[in-house]
Parts: sequence; structure tokens; C-alpha cells
Amino acid sequence: MPLRIAPTHLVFLVLGSITAIYLNWSAISASTRLYNLIVVVPVGIALLVLAALILGKSLLRPHDPERLEKTPLRETLGDVVLLACFGVFCVALTKVGFDLATFFFVWIGVHLSGEKRLWAPPLYAAVFTALLVESFGSLFPFPMPLAVLS
Amino acid sequence: MIDGLALSQSLDLLFSGYGPWLYVLPGLLIGLVFGAIPGLQISMAMAVFLPLTWNMDFLQAMLFLTSIFTGGAYGGGVTAILMNIPGSSSSVATAFDGYPMARQGRHNEALGLGLGASVVGAFVGYVLLFLLIEPLTVVVLKLGPLEMVMVVFWGLTLIATLNDSTMAKGLYAGLLGLLLSQIGMSTTGTMRTTIGNPYLIDGIPVVPAMIGMFAASELLRLRGNSYLVDAKGLRTISLSALLKGFLKTFRYPKTLIRGSLIGALIGAVPGVGSSVANLVAYGEVRRSSDHPEKFGKGEPEGVVAAESSNSSSEGGSMTALLALGVPGGAATAVLLAAFSFHNLVGGPSFIRDNRDVVYSIIIGNMGQVILLAIVGILSLRVLGMVVRVPLSYLVPSVLALCAWGGFGITGTVAGPVTVAVFAGLGWMMRRHSYPVAATVIGLLLGRMTEGEMVRTLQISGGNPLAYLAERPIAILFLILLLLSAVVLPLWRRHRENRQSAEEATAGSS
Repeated sequence: MPLRIAPTHLVFLVLGSITAIYLNWSAISASTRLYNLIVVVPVGIALLVLAALILGKSLLRPHDPERLEKTPLRETLGDVVLLACFGVFCVALTKVGFDLATFFFVWIGVHLSGEKRLWAPPLYAAVFTALLVESFGSLFPFPMPLAVLS
Repeated sequence: MIDGLALSQSLDLLFSGYGPWLYVLPGLLIGLVFGAIPGLQISMAMAVFLPLTWNMDFLQAMLFLTSIFTGGAYGGGVTAILMNIPGSSSSVATAFDGYPMARQGRHNEALGLGLGASVVGAFVGYVLLFLLIEPLTVVVLKLGPLEMVMVVFWGLTLIATLNDSTMAKGLYAGLLGLLLSQIGMSTTGTMRTTIGNPYLIDGIPVVPAMIGMFAASELLRLRGNSYLVDAKGLRTISLSALLKGFLKTFRYPKTLIRGSLIGALIGAVPGVGSSVANLVAYGEVRRSSDHPEKFGKGEPEGVVAAESSNSSSEGGSMTALLALGVPGGAATAVLLAAFSFHNLVGGPSFIRDNRDVVYSIIIGNMGQVILLAIVGILSLRVLGMVVRVPLSYLVPSVLALCAWGGFGITGTVAGPVTVAVFAGLGWMMRRHSYPVAATVIGLLLGRMTEGEMVRTLQISGGNPLAYLAERPIAILFLILLLLSAVVLPLWRRHRENRQSAEEATAGSS
């Protein structure tokens, strides 16, 4: 049977529904007092109903492969790779140091975004990181782990 | 209503020397820079620079801190227009039309419009404050938790229904934000899930989530392009175009006045402020427009409504601070701290005993607004250069800045990780035409909604309907809410059906 809904759309609706069920279960387990459930329960139920409606509407619509494959797979993969790099970078900031993590992320990110020259991205990443540490970083009211520029 | 003697004393205080104005220009620049960098908050700038006011007299200190406030309110709009990154929650609606304008190469016009609307909005806000500070205090005191719940639901419904997607998707996005705001400890102290993460005890940090949803997900979408503005000829930074945009603001007098009034009124309500004001004003201007379909695609009126309301809400929030001694938000809380630095307490007794100082603060702020116009136009030439940077360099750099901004707000890894998670969520939502703004607003207002609902239940003794019957302002908001939720979508569907019927007729003939 051909898929009538884009896989990423399905993932989004399923994630939303799981979140609604999990948060309701957690809130009800914590306390069944009205004050605790006044937002979470009605919103959770409405969210599940809406997810079913959107899913139902998509499944009942006639199959249209053109609509589903509007975004090329290559482009989607590029987005996912950059997103994954960004996730790793966010976690790495406090683990390996803001300077090192930023330098590598910007270097790789510039290449992933289409820069072909080999020498320009690392040079740019180094200058950008140094500027960021000295300007933005000095405004932080919190200690910022650094590996090289400390 | 206006005390003539106090007014002349205030003019004497302000204009008998340059002292009170000495720190206004640096304050405006600090505000512009902090407002324009995602992750750096206006309140953070005010808090960082608060210790500097030790050596200033009270009026100098107030004018310095409020100039940071004024500059920051517009600074947030600059990144919203150029990069779809609202510098703060008060600039969310600015991005709706400002960013599409920038993508069409109309960034100069959008920046000028935003500056013009900010200047007029802030000026109107302070004029209203000057004229109505005492009567406004009475109105503000009449707004209870039930009215607040109605305002929040009205704002959410407007955003859920007034988007280019279907109503189901708009509502789903808004409700998802409300649901996510329920993570962590409830407003009544019950510990709900933190997904095993102690950083989430206070809930999801909203500003990093907002940066992820708006900025990071949009940057991923931009990745394939070469520049923010495709046509080379349109990438120029033109002072004349900025000025033209600035002057164009005055072609929308109705929108300016409506946005400014909504901003001043909502800004005066403690705890609500500019983050709600800009959305409600945008929704209201779009609803009453003759061409609502143009909104969200680069309509100048959208920028004017959003910027005039968030700037005028500054005057409104000063109402609550000066008249009631209640800070409306984080920025005014810092101002209240400046009061205590100088052994002063805001509130009715402050207005009664120091009316000349109150008038000086208000008139001084009007002067700041005029200075903002000059400082803004000069600094926009520099800030606008972002359209000349190739996207292959801009995308990873701004993504890095987003993560740093997340850290700047929380001080822990929770900030950057929240940015990353919400970037992924925003990316999925944008791909399937869900309005990310609705989710951000739900997240932003969820906690406040819960708190106000609980208070309404407590005040009404468990019978909110009987309580509603006694609250005419709440009934008015309920009517507006129903109009937005039921009448607007029906009218939109009717208009779409009529349009498609007309197209079909045109096609067959």
C-alpha cells in the first residue's frame, strides 16, 4: 500500500502523541488534584484528537506521490546531517570547551553548506571563534569552559 | 490630570544641565547590541549595567536603564527582520512579515519601517503614560486572573487561526507548546516529569526553545541558497531606502495608533507585557485588514503593528511600575531594583510625593525615543550588512551563535541542548506547514495560563462560570475569543470557496 503521509510528518505526529500520553501519565501519577491537571489533561486530549484528525485526513486523501516527494532525499539528508552535527556541537560545548567545539562545528558546517575551497573554512572558523570568545563570551555572567583560548 | 507645577519642575530637572542625558546615548547603544544578539536579553543588559548606576543620581540612573530598555526593544526586531531570529519574545510578530520582506530584498524598507514604528510606538506609549498614568492604574487593578486567562487564550487562538496552514495544524502547534510548558514543577508546587533531567525542574527554558524553533530551523531551510537576498542588486544597504522605509511608517496611521494603543494597554498589565502585546496587535491588525492574505508574506503593516505595539508596551509596563510599584516583567524588575538602590519605593506614594521626578522620567523617555531614531538609522547601516554574507558562512556561524545564546541564558548545557532539540522540532514542523510561532507562544504563555487558571478557580470558589458573569471585561475578551475561534475560520473558508469559484468561472470562460 503506498504511503499517503510523509515519514517525517508521521514521526512528528507520533512524537507529539507520545509526549501527550507520557506527560499526562506523569502528571496524573504526581497528583490527581484539579489544580495540577487543569491544563495538561484537556490539552493532552485535544492534541490526541487533532493528531488523529490530521492523520485521518492525510490517509483518506487520494495518493499523490508528487506532493509527498516535494523535498529531494539528498536535501533532507543534508539537513539531517547538519542538524546532527549541531546536536553534537551543543553537547560538546561544555565537554570539550566552547572554543574547540565552535571551531570544528563552523569548519564542518561551512563545508556542509556548500563551500568548496579547502583553506577558507578553517581560517574563517578560527577567526570567528576567537572573536566570539573575546566579544560574546566576555559578556556571559557564567564561567565558560575553554580548551585553547583560556 | 496634569500637575502644572510638577511639570515645570520636571522640565527644569531635565533641561537645566546635560547631566540627566549623559548616559542616554551609551544606554541606547548597549540596548541595541544586546537586543540584536540572540540569547542576550534586555533584562540581562540592564542587570549587568545596574551596578554602574551606584554613582548616578536617581534620574540619571532611570534614564540610563530605560534607554537600554528602549534600544533593546528595537534591537530584537533587527535580527527578527534580517535573520528570522527574534532577539526577544517581544519581537516574535516582527519576524512574521519583516523576514519575508528581507528575503524579497526589501530589508532596508523593513528595517526603516520597524524603526519608524518603534519610535512612534514608544513615543505614543509614553504620551499615554504621561496623560493617563492615574486613570490607567484604576483599569490595571480591575484586570484579574480570569481576564488574563481570556487574553492569553485570545492571543493563542488568533495565532492558531491566522496562519497560512490549516486550522487543525495551527491548533495542534499551539497546544503542543502549551503541553510542553507543563514539564517540570507545576505552579502549585507539584513535581511532574522532568524526563529524568534536573535542568527541567523549572520547565523548558523558553528563550533557548524559541531560538531553536525560529532561528535554527530556519537556518537549516536556508542552507541550500547562496545569500539571504538572492538578487545581487538588492543586497545594498541604502540610507535613503532606510529613511524611505522610516517615513513609509506614517502611511499607516491607523495601524500605528491601533498597535500603539494595544501595546500600551497590554503592557500595563503586570506579567503580560510586550510578548503578548506584539502578537495580539499583529493578529488584530491582520484580522481587520482589507487584504489579510498578504500578511506573513512581507506586508509592511505587519511590521508596523508588531513594532509599534512592542515599543508602546514599554510605556505601559512603566505604568505598573510607577503607579503600582509592581514590575510587569524582568526589565522593569531591574528598574525596581534601581529604585531600591536609591532608597525609593515605587507605587501610589511615589507618584504623590515625587510627581516632578515621575514626569521627568516620562519626558526623558520621550527624548530618548527621538535619539533612538538617529542612533537606529546610523547603526542599521552596519547591522544590515548581514545580507551580504554568503549563507555557507552565515548559517553555521549563526547556528553557533544560537547555541552560545542558549548557554548565555541558562548558564548550563541545558540551554544549547534545548536549542538543538527545538531546532529539530521546528525543522519537522516547517517541513509540514505547522506554524512554529504558535508552539513558541504556547510554551511562552503556558505557565502563566496555568497559574491564572488556578487563581481563577480559587477566587471563584470552584465556580468560574458564575464568577465570569460578574466580570464584564472578561466577557468582552470571551466574545473576542469566540469571534477569533469560530467566525474568523468560517469567514476565511467562505472567502476561499468564493475565490476558487471565481477562478473556476474564469478558467471555464
